[in-house]
Amino acid sequence: MRFSFGDDQLLLAAGLRELLARECTPAHVRAVWDGRTGHDPALWAKLAGMGVLGLLLPESDGGTGLDEVDAVLQWQELGRAAAPGPVLEHMAVAAPALRGTRFAAGLADGSLVATAAGFDASPYVAHAQIAHIVVTPDGVVPTAGARIVDIAGIDGGRLLSTLAEFRTEPVHFSDQLGFERGALATAAYLVGSGERMIELAAEHARVRQQFGKPIGSFQAVKHLLADALLKIEFAKPAVYRAAWSVAQREPTVARDVSMAKALAGEAAYRAGRSAMQVHGGIGYTWEADLQLWMKKTWALMRAWGDSPYHRRRVAEAVTA
Amino acid sequence: MDLRYTPAQDAFRSEARAWLEANVPAKPLPSFDTAEGFEQHRAWERRLYDGRWSAVSWPVEYGGRGADYLEWLIFEEEYYRADAPGRVNQNGIFLLGPTIMEVGTEAQRTRFLPAIASSEIVWAQAWSEPNAGSDLAAIRSTANRDGDDWILNGQKTWASRAAWADWCFGIFRSDPTAERQRGLTFVLVPLDSPGITVRPIAQLDGDTGFAEIFFDDVRVPRANTLGEEGKGWNVAMATAAFERGVSLRSPARFTEAAARLLDLWREVGDPDDTAMRDAVTDAWMQAEGYRLHTQMTVTGMLEGRPIGAEASMNKIFWSEMDVRIHELALQLLGPDAERTSGVNERWVDGFLFSLAGPIYAGTNEIQRNIIADRVLQLPKGT
Repeated sequence: MRFSFGDDQLLLAAGLRELLARECTPAHVRAVWDGRTGHDPALWAKLAGMGVLGLLLPESDGGTGLDEVDAVLQWQELGRAAAPGPVLEHMAVAAPALRGTRFAAGLADGSLVATAAGFDASPYVAHAQIAHIVVTPDGVVPTAGARIVDIAGIDGGRLLSTLAEFRTEPVHFSDQLGFERGALATAAYLVGSGERMIELAAEHARVRQQFGKPIGSFQAVKHLLADALLKIEFAKPAVYRAAWSVAQREPTVARDVSMAKALAGEAAYRAGRSAMQVHGGIGYTWEADLQLWMKKTWALMRAWGDSPYHRRRVAEAVTA
Repeated sequence: MDLRYTPAQDAFRSEARAWLEANVPAKPLPSFDTAEGFEQHRAWERRLYDGRWSAVSWPVEYGGRGADYLEWLIFEEEYYRADAPGRVNQNGIFLLGPTIMEVGTEAQRTRFLPAIASSEIVWAQAWSEPNAGSDLAAIRSTANRDGDDWILNGQKTWASRAAWADWCFGIFRSDPTAERQRGLTFVLVPLDSPGITVRPIAQLDGDTGFAEIFFDDVRVPRANTLGEEGKGWNVAMATAAFERGVSLRSPARFTEAAARLLDLWREVGDPDDTAMRDAVTDAWMQAEGYRLHTQMTVTGMLEGRPIGAEASMNKIFWSEMDVRIHELALQLLGPDAERTSGVNERWVDGFLFSLAGPIYAGTNEIQRNIIADRVLQLPKGT
């Protein structure tokens, strides 16, 4: 029993944090929103170069050959940066499903951009506009030739659409864990997003003065953020354990992933609400960067099964 | 990361389980906050000690087994699984003992640690005063030097276990010119010392679980000082970190309670009441989340990352979860929740006790301040 990350895993996460601090600043994310691309090809190339996109692909496919426990802190870092584009769908769902296929090499080097859809109840596809392929439970859908109908969405880093007139190429997936990996990666991303929103609020509370002192000195503000942090900190171990359960193919994988997604989604949502409240009027503006994380959180807390869905799945496992 | 137990850990679990199955009293003991129950619990502690299970994480020389924190968590899981008696000397074993190991002299370790492990000395905590609760640094009780002795005066209150305990550990102002956290001294005091009056206080459940302690020119040797004179605050905070951190409320207590709640749900819950089913599921997730969080904390401690202000998060989390688990149980019990006897007794008792959790060991409001100040680095309030 050793519930901690190794030096290599922590170094990988620190490296990604450093890269994102340079290449995925709020200004970069805003540019993606403003350009209505939902994707940043320059960032994508950097993520491919660092081996992030192919993390879960074996070396024989040009990947890094690591597992979900290695990946979970990476997903959390992507959430801390509100990274735009189909990075979770690509690295957590498409790549491991397509291990050993003709798609794998392109997924590892990033030249083939994948997204995933159809694993949850949503009728919408995220990122289809900029992806070459969509991985669905039935196989691979090439976006070339499909009719993509744009749907306006809340998160500028995640273009929505519906797909019509497409063909599905049946593919033998390496395993059937697509939904679990998607939910797990999203949970980790949400924890990172929530953590960052609390940090933004704390930064604001240290600086913003009212009644002649920083608002962070008031207990009403302290307690709001302390409670938000508590929820994030207690969601983290659930997310990390879920990563272990997926990596080890534990029989409890559905229960563990659902516990992680339910807790992470609710914790991140609460973090956003509290962070916005602490920001006051500025928190309600387009100008405040907080919205980049809030809107991503609102989108992802519902993607790959919302909290009620996942709580139900936990209930089925524990109350039976 | 490896979330599997090692064969050695499995063997440790089996050994603990076998001993507990053979030794745990078949019939629950009366509350340790009664005269009769107190002595029965002391006898149980002695039995634990003789089996070297009373303080598993302590060094062998002091009566423990030198178990690491992960083994301690395993022992706790087995302890709650066996439904073994409450720990009457929790103050001594989980709070004072570790502090003596950290800051005590060799003579104090030899004198006190085996006596704590065996519950030859059962301890009361004497920190709060009528005007020093959340504002603990407002302590007014005094310790004045008289040669090799301290002369203690003042009043302590909400001293848990003090009605029947043998000794107390208290904080006294030893430098009358110093203010707040400075000039305090941590002193170990026999409760049968001349000049001490203990006035038991009935708790919400009617039992005398805590007491007021009056000190009227009480003389104790200065050798009973724990840590440096004048540095009592730091000694107390070392104790507090253990208390709020992992040792006071191990996850097993809550995972067992959540499991009993699920049993109750299966027994009396309405399968169509999905709101209640979800609430019960949430309670299970919280207990499980606390278990996982503690495993991470303990792994971190074993790898040399000491617990800090995060301890305050644990304290808020477990105390609110405990209230929630019991609220849900009473809701499931319906009209029977009003009864204080019968099969529901345990849930009603547990509910009453859970309500103390957000208050003792530093109120949850104080813990939130600590998180905000030390973890989130917000400016201090005024």
